[in-house]
Amino acid sequence: MSDRSMKQRTYNILFHTHTVSGIVISVVLYVIFFAGSFAFFRDEFVNWERNSGVDVTDHITFSFDHLLDSVGQNYNLYGRDIELSKYYIEDRVSVNMTGTQSKTAASEDQLPKFFYYTPTDNSEATYAASYTLGEFLYRLHFLAQIKYPIGYYLAGLIAFFFLFAIITGFLVHWKKIVSNFYIFRPMAKAKTIWTDAHTALGMIGLPFQFVYAVTGAFFMIKAILIAPNVFLLFNGDQEKFYAELGYSHPHSKFIDERDAANYSIDEFVETTRDRWPGFNVTQVHLFNYQTTDMQLLVEGHLPYRSKFNGTGQALYQVNSGKLISERSPLEKASYLEAVKNILYRIHYGDYGGYALRIISFLLGIISCFVIISGVMIWLVARDKKHIPEKRRRFNEKVARVYMAIALSMLPVTALSFIAVKIFEPQGQSFIINFYGITWLLFTIFYILKKDLSFINRNTLLLGAVFGLLIPITNGIKTGNWPWVSYEKGLYHIFFTDVFWIILPILLLFAWKKTLKSGGPGGIPQKKVSKKTIPTKPIAEAVN
Amino acid sequence: MPANPKYLSSPLQRFAKISAGFLGGYLVTMSIHLALASWFDTANIVITSAYSGFILWAVLFVLAFLGKNGWKVWLLYLAITLLFGLICYFGIQNQSIV
Repeated sequence: MSDRSMKQRTYNILFHTHTVSGIVISVVLYVIFFAGSFAFFRDEFVNWERNSGVDVTDHITFSFDHLLDSVGQNYNLYGRDIELSKYYIEDRVSVNMTGTQSKTAASEDQLPKFFYYTPTDNSEATYAASYTLGEFLYRLHFLAQIKYPIGYYLAGLIAFFFLFAIITGFLVHWKKIVSNFYIFRPMAKAKTIWTDAHTALGMIGLPFQFVYAVTGAFFMIKAILIAPNVFLLFNGDQEKFYAELGYSHPHSKFIDERDAANYSIDEFVETTRDRWPGFNVTQVHLFNYQTTDMQLLVEGHLPYRSKFNGTGQALYQVNSGKLISERSPLEKASYLEAVKNILYRIHYGDYGGYALRIISFLLGIISCFVIISGVMIWLVARDKKHIPEKRRRFNEKVARVYMAIALSMLPVTALSFIAVKIFEPQGQSFIINFYGITWLLFTIFYILKKDLSFINRNTLLLGAVFGLLIPITNGIKTGNWPWVSYEKGLYHIFFTDVFWIILPILLLFAWKKTLKSGGPGGIPQKKVSKKTIPTKPIAEAVN
Repeated sequence: MPANPKYLSSPLQRFAKISAGFLGGYLVTMSIHLALASWFDTANIVITSAYSGFILWAVLFVLAFLGKNGWKVWLLYLAITLLFGLICYFGIQNQSIV
């Protein structure tokens, strides 16, 4: 086979597999990227919803002794392992305790327990009661609402196929990367507009999308990497595997011997921070509580701006105060710990302050646009005379359903912010049902409208209008208008309101552009192409 | 676009290539990483596979479509899996002696 026709064949194969993989994953991938983009501001939205001020730090700022004392009044803590963790910047921490390991204890003490504890009022709350729209959007982006483990695995597989689509797309575009980098032809025919948008934004977002495809796949389907390792290299011993990878917390065995003395956990935490200045304590783990062999693990990290890979931990013997073992954050991180950390940092984008999160949000939304433009290319490219009418109508229906599901997320999300503010406090059921049902209704409405341009214009407009109503609703409900919240130092509330002023303004600009017919936002409804099937093969493009 | 029909495969070939890429690619990726992990520092190889595993798998998935015959791709991927499987096997034996 000649070199040129090999290249032609390769190009065609990569192009076709890119199209198929892209179209198959498009809707779900859009959901993941849309929800994921908002998830960068999860904590801001959560604290806006709760109308609460928080210490903006990864460090657990309140007294552990006070917490243990307060919780100890409602539960018999003797003999339990207790884990106190701050995963998010909220006004509460998670309390995760095993049942007591003492065989002589009452039956209710043998039950494990999980709840959130708020130090300001010593209150306890379940996961469902603490649920927020911020949490919902965060979990939506890995499809957690779909019954476990289906949602998780679906999200992971979509991320993996996204990686496939990125590689094929990049190879298809390879020759034109430099030549077409600045090309955008808004006055050309529909397919060209969508193609230019797709390739330009795809190139700009490429490193970002690559990172999220790989880390996303890792987070959700790492089990399929782990399983063969455990089975073949660790003789099925899962514990040993996790220990080898530095995930276990080795500690003393339980001895059923009460130690009635009072120890200050806060002091251990302070000692740790003295040795590692600036250390953010994100987790405290007590083993064999109130026994003679009680141990304490203090875990956390240095601020990311001072040391990117600065995780560390210290294990103490509580009754003697002795340090049993530690992994100092001041030392150079091992390759293992560095990779473990980096996979999370580059996905969460939490190491560069607001600037990084805002850029990440914009790149996420750009990725959404890459997906939409891909669907549009698919549709418009098949809008040709030689393709049977029936097929063209089917294609149009598919595109309409995809666009309705995807684009309606914007007004639905904005409406949900309003809803949780008006009807607060609300738990898990309300939020999931409100978002889900509203999304369904909007989707059906847009499908029935049978007009792609309308879906585009209308979602932008409603997104903007509902969006602007968000800070207004908040102001009326809580009195924390942006100038008030700023004054009071309630920065998460302030950020959320300002976010929902700036974003709607940008959406209105985009909406205005779609009003001009033939502009990039307007989707021409008429059958565009008058040409017949091109007789020249795609070899042109290869050259 | 849409694809020039002369480059499209028959349904059976499609099944062969897709399964070779997805399943075969997975087997090759895992066997290579397991072989490495059995001979070198296990933890470091495993954590590397967190990113290299998915990247290699995706690349193998793409390559599977470029073959003329999907069943030949299957054969190739299985052969590679066997090769690295053997290397892994000896690596495990070696570890238990050491």
